[in-house]
Amino acid sequence: MPSHPHSPHALLRQAPLAGAAAERPRSAAHLPTRRALLGGGLSLGALLALAACTPDDTAPLSGGRPAPGGVLRYFEPQTWTTLYPPSAGFYPNGGIVNNITDRLLFQDPQTLELHPWIAEALPEANADATEFTFRLRTGVTHSDGTPLDAENVARNFDLYGRGDNARALPVSEQITNYAGSEVLDERTVVFRFDAPAPGFPQATATMNAGLVANSTLELDAEGFGPGSATRIVTSGPFTVAEEEVGTRLSVRVREDYDWAPPHLEHQGRAFLDGIDYLVNGEYSVRIGALVSGQADGVRGVEAPDEARVEEKGLRLYAQPTNGINNGLSFRSRHPLLADVTVRRALTHAIDRDRIVAKLFTDNYPKATGVLAQGAAGYVAAPRAWAFDPDRANALLDEAGWTERTESGHRTRDGEPLTLRVNIAHPQPRSREVMSLVQEDFARVGVHLTINEGDYAQQTIDSLELDRVQVYHSMVARADYDVLASQWSVANRDAFLNHDEETGEWGDERTQEILDRITGSASAEDRAAAAAELQEHFIDQALVVPLFEEPQVFGFRRRVRDFSTEPVGRPAFYSVWLAD
Amino acid sequence: MAVYLAGRLGQALLVLFLAYTAASMLLMILPGDGVLARYANPALGLSGEQVEAIRQSYGADAPWYVQYWQSLSGFLTGDLGYSVNSGAAVSTLVASALPSTALLAVSGFAAAVVLAVAVAVLASYGKPRWLASAFDSAPSLFISVPVFWLGIVIIQVLSFQLGWVTMVSPGPLESLILPTLTLAIPLSAPLAQILIRAIAEVRAQPFVHVTRAKGAGEAWMLVHSVIRNAMLPALTIAGLLFGELVAGAVVTETVFGRAGIGALTAQAVANRDNPVLLAVVVIATVGFVLVNLLVDLLYPVVDPRLRHRGRVGAAARRRLGARAQASGTGPSRTGADRADQEEEIRA
Repeated sequence: MPSHPHSPHALLRQAPLAGAAAERPRSAAHLPTRRALLGGGLSLGALLALAACTPDDTAPLSGGRPAPGGVLRYFEPQTWTTLYPPSAGFYPNGGIVNNITDRLLFQDPQTLELHPWIAEALPEANADATEFTFRLRTGVTHSDGTPLDAENVARNFDLYGRGDNARALPVSEQITNYAGSEVLDERTVVFRFDAPAPGFPQATATMNAGLVANSTLELDAEGFGPGSATRIVTSGPFTVAEEEVGTRLSVRVREDYDWAPPHLEHQGRAFLDGIDYLVNGEYSVRIGALVSGQADGVRGVEAPDEARVEEKGLRLYAQPTNGINNGLSFRSRHPLLADVTVRRALTHAIDRDRIVAKLFTDNYPKATGVLAQGAAGYVAAPRAWAFDPDRANALLDEAGWTERTESGHRTRDGEPLTLRVNIAHPQPRSREVMSLVQEDFARVGVHLTINEGDYAQQTIDSLELDRVQVYHSMVARADYDVLASQWSVANRDAFLNHDEETGEWGDERTQEILDRITGSASAEDRAAAAAELQEHFIDQALVVPLFEEPQVFGFRRRVRDFSTEPVGRPAFYSVWLAD
Repeated sequence: MAVYLAGRLGQALLVLFLAYTAASMLLMILPGDGVLARYANPALGLSGEQVEAIRQSYGADAPWYVQYWQSLSGFLTGDLGYSVNSGAAVSTLVASALPSTALLAVSGFAAAVVLAVAVAVLASYGKPRWLASAFDSAPSLFISVPVFWLGIVIIQVLSFQLGWVTMVSPGPLESLILPTLTLAIPLSAPLAQILIRAIAEVRAQPFVHVTRAKGAGEAWMLVHSVIRNAMLPALTIAGLLFGELVAGAVVTETVFGRAGIGALTAQAVANRDNPVLLAVVVIATVGFVLVNLLVDLLYPVVDPRLRHRGRVGAAARRRLGARAQASGTGPSRTGADRADQEEEIRA
């Protein structure tokens, strides 16, 4: 064990003056170790919280009538980083932005159908889906009293569709080929695109297109960041009231809110008086606060704790995220993965049933397709990705990887079959999932190394084909465009599909189909292209989906009618507290 | 005295500069930067080109010496730059984090002193014997307990199970109780250890026997003779413990969800937020230098012998230096200082 920074020896060895200089980098270098240790302490803490001693929640599960009142105390594992709506994909950001902003359209989380919200009706689109006309409802105001009118809406999308690098505000990944807006009158606005943008109406319904006031649109990255949350002015059911940087954000109800999506049963002001978003990085503290009744809800109950949380009488909500399934992308531009036979062998080597059974619960169903069952464009593939190590071995032999090293790993012409996978820190138990995959691969003679490191390190390493060849990730968005978000070279580019310097492609056909999904005007064409892509992935063994990833929330029994938007971010508008 | 202070100040500035430069270099050696870590984050879904454009606007693609010079000249003019992760001004982040950490450090340190004195006294004078020896081994236990584990256990027991203190939106005083306790326990260990040893050493000295022979009770002697003599080494250790405080704050603030320099550091490390990290390095260095200067200036106040310019003072100073060297620490006595002392003795 390396000398712990708190051991007396470590302390005493430092000369007084050099000590200060050494202190910072030392703690930095020790963080992973500390984290690893923290892991041990953490599970112990959670165990303590969930063990006897604390009383069960025995409040009634149903009954009572929705009534206004009460502030919800809700725990997040990480602090939010920005309230700039296009960056709301990060869970802590989205949990806030979704509840303080209104959107042009409302997407039903169950049916995924679009409904009017700030727009009075669904937009009129031209035939090639390059022009969308929205007509707005009247009387909507931001919390500073300024109207949410056509001009304000146009300014919102001008920023989200173009971004502003000078202010370090990125463009929204969901709005592509944005050409501009035109305000026809106070209530009517037109958006134009350089190429068909059939996904645009859905994009206006996501929290990434949350509408903010004109004064907020003037802010730069700092203005949207921690420390200036109270400068964010929105029209939503809650508005930012108070901020303690890094620990708490309080939003309070907008009393005169009267423009909820007509599709919802509940209208008028939200039932809650407000929400306190609390941050604590320590899992056992969050769970303990919930179990002891100090908090009303937490995001991110870990799979191994689900049963014990339920035993305590608390409610669990496992909300599907309706996007790309949690899974692996094989980067076929890398020489070792260029051969489809090798990729096929790898898909048969992975025992997905074992992963789900060993590490997760029923809330994490084994993937039955590239997309989750609730996602737009889902195609079932019951026979794909079957676990068959014999077949995997045969395929690898066929591909010429016949020789073995002493440790049992396959080689070809002296070159070992060694791959590296990232750890997807935002995804549940990614490290453990990857160790099981590592065992599965080892069984057929493929050496998989796991790329260690923290969140930032993973992000940086995942951009290099030399570092990461098997990419573990997932993306949620309830539209066909989610396929492009994950695999298009214009977005996340999970395959690192294209080398700009050499012009070399990993799998050019993938990009060609993706362009048809994002660029076709008709819904049928897009659905057909989405289906074709999923088939292509199976045929070419480019993707192995593992399981459908939920967001698991825990709530006290008195918290009623909790729901989420289509990709699992909390929606507190209709939530009420029973007494 | 003025010359001494000026010398120390110059030394402090040099240390600051070296610490800053070393930290800058180390951070620049790391592959990838905060801009990349933030904007290439898959949660944003930006393409490589878009990320590159943002990096250019941040100047993150400039060569290292340009970046070093820019940030150094910024620091010299009081501009700490902007957090790469949140875009907030580093000075704002630090200004909002510093008071909370300073408060925690002061209360943690005060509690540690109280705890250390209590443990040392009980270990030296405790009756029956087994109680004393139990307290005698307490410092070893205290220092072996990992801070984060201790924090979690304290929260689970005192807050969640007994409900004495709330973890959710506590008052300003309430929020300080548990972190102070968590920080004080490991901090008190080296202090208590030194005190126990010093008390034993002082009690064995002839003047204590004389005092006892004159009829002084144990309690009177403890306050008037023993503690005062045992203070000096404890003061030396106390100065060094400042570094411990900073490291302890990282863990304590994370576990307790407190905003502060420690939490800021942990986040900055995770996000490769170099401007914030550099500011933290500078703050920690300044704090360390100041605390140790303060400790050095306090010696003569605590020990009257050190104020004596003649033989008595020289002997006391020699003892102080020898003890510090024996424990591998000690006040920053330079060779020149010691030569001065030798001369004094000869004179």
